[in-house]
Amino acid sequence: MKTFNTMLKTELKLSLRGMDMLIFAICMPIIVLVILGVIYGDQPAYVGASYTFLEQSFGAIVSIAISAGGVMGLPLVISDYRGKKILKRLKVTPAQPVIILLVQITIYGLYALTSLVLLYLIASVFYSFRMQGDFLQFLLGWLLVMVSMFSIGVMVGGIAKNIKIAGILASLLYFPMLIFSGATLPYEVMPTAMQKAADLLPLTQGIKLLKATSLGLPVENVLPSIIVMVVIAGICSFVSIRFFKWE
Amino acid sequence: MENVIIVEQLSKSYGDLVAVKNLSLSVKTGSVFGLLGANGAGKSTTVECILGTKKPDRGSVSILDLSPIHDRKTLFENVGVQFQEAHYQEHIQVGELCEVTASLYKNPTDYKNLLVQFGIADKLKSPVKELSGGQKQRLFIVLALIPNPQVVLLDELTTGLDARARRDVWQILSKLKDSGLTILLTSHFMDEVEVLCDTICILKKGETVFYGTVSEAIKNSPYEKLEDAYLWYSDEEDMTHEDL
Repeated sequence: MKTFNTMLKTELKLSLRGMDMLIFAICMPIIVLVILGVIYGDQPAYVGASYTFLEQSFGAIVSIAISAGGVMGLPLVISDYRGKKILKRLKVTPAQPVIILLVQITIYGLYALTSLVLLYLIASVFYSFRMQGDFLQFLLGWLLVMVSMFSIGVMVGGIAKNIKIAGILASLLYFPMLIFSGATLPYEVMPTAMQKAADLLPLTQGIKLLKATSLGLPVENVLPSIIVMVVIAGICSFVSIRFFKWE
Repeated sequence: MENVIIVEQLSKSYGDLVAVKNLSLSVKTGSVFGLLGANGAGKSTTVECILGTKKPDRGSVSILDLSPIHDRKTLFENVGVQFQEAHYQEHIQVGELCEVTASLYKNPTDYKNLLVQFGIADKLKSPVKELSGGQKQRLFIVLALIPNPQVVLLDELTTGLDARARRDVWQILSKLKDSGLTILLTSHFMDEVEVLCDTICILKKGETVFYGTVSEAIKNSPYEKLEDAYLWYSDEEDMTHEDL
């Protein structure tokens, strides 16, 4: 535990010094929230809807930090630390090398949590946002999406040959998901054909789950999304554990 | 004197390439052992097999009567390691790197004392990447000493240092040796080996071509200087060509 805490403290400082996650996981979701707030204010999602457009988008915006950490932050830091032989160096100490992975997962989890809290506060205070659904259910959904996205990131970082390849893969995963899964550009304003394509992205399914739980819609409707999240988490975790390259 | 590191009949190949063949060595308590050889002679593979980061094809390794693979957790409480290249995070500061390293061990020594001893205590808040070559190397020795080890392995510790910095590092190592620490090092520099090592092993294409003390190495060669003797042992063929 002493090792974990010291490492967490230091790695968190290093991560903040790097600035990237402050921008992509903390600032960017807030900017998207504010833009949607300025455009839609407290307008209903559609004529006769019982929730506002912004309430409908909340589930999507909270996924920005999850995907920034999961499919961008984690693959890069893991492959970087392998390239710098930091993982290998831990092998010649009494500590388990896996501890540094747990530390990184915790850090990106903290970014996602901070983003969630900030978004919730800003949306509540400025845009009369109310969580329509059960908060606990929403949190469970949020955790599931996080586990799923993070498992993709650990897998990519764990098996990518070097940081360059990890960077390319991370970009290929991150930017399409950011733009086309509804995290930034609302899914509801996309043409139907685009929505169908977007449905193929894992994050789109995650966002459907987050929207359903935050809006208090019946969870049965998003059962396929839940299954997709669980299956992705299962497969990626298995591949990570089986094929992870420590050096 | 008891042997701290014992390697017996170690062999390791990568595909068709034989990296180390039938290597045996033993390092006595409180002595300095030098593993020498040209680039690609098998030094790094040997060190990695000793540390357990590579699995030998054949042969056995024990450090302090423990296996580096099966008793990793117990063993590395007492073994300090300094790798050939620097392994640290991009923006990390000296103090942070020391603190994290200390947190890996049950009974670490006070790293602040070590930094004072090694003359880099004022660098506590400096980013590691901004240290000079000599300061970095001293820091890496500090890191290897943080566990309060009985044995340290140092891989090419003075490569890339200027003459002054190398002398400083030698002095530090001599002191550590006097205090009873067992050291295994790899090196390219024969002056350094002559000053520090009690026993040396010269590798050539993965095989041991000389094993013994520095004076024996010189005595068994036609030369009077260790550097000439070393070259004679390690690239005999080239020398014969030159003689022709």
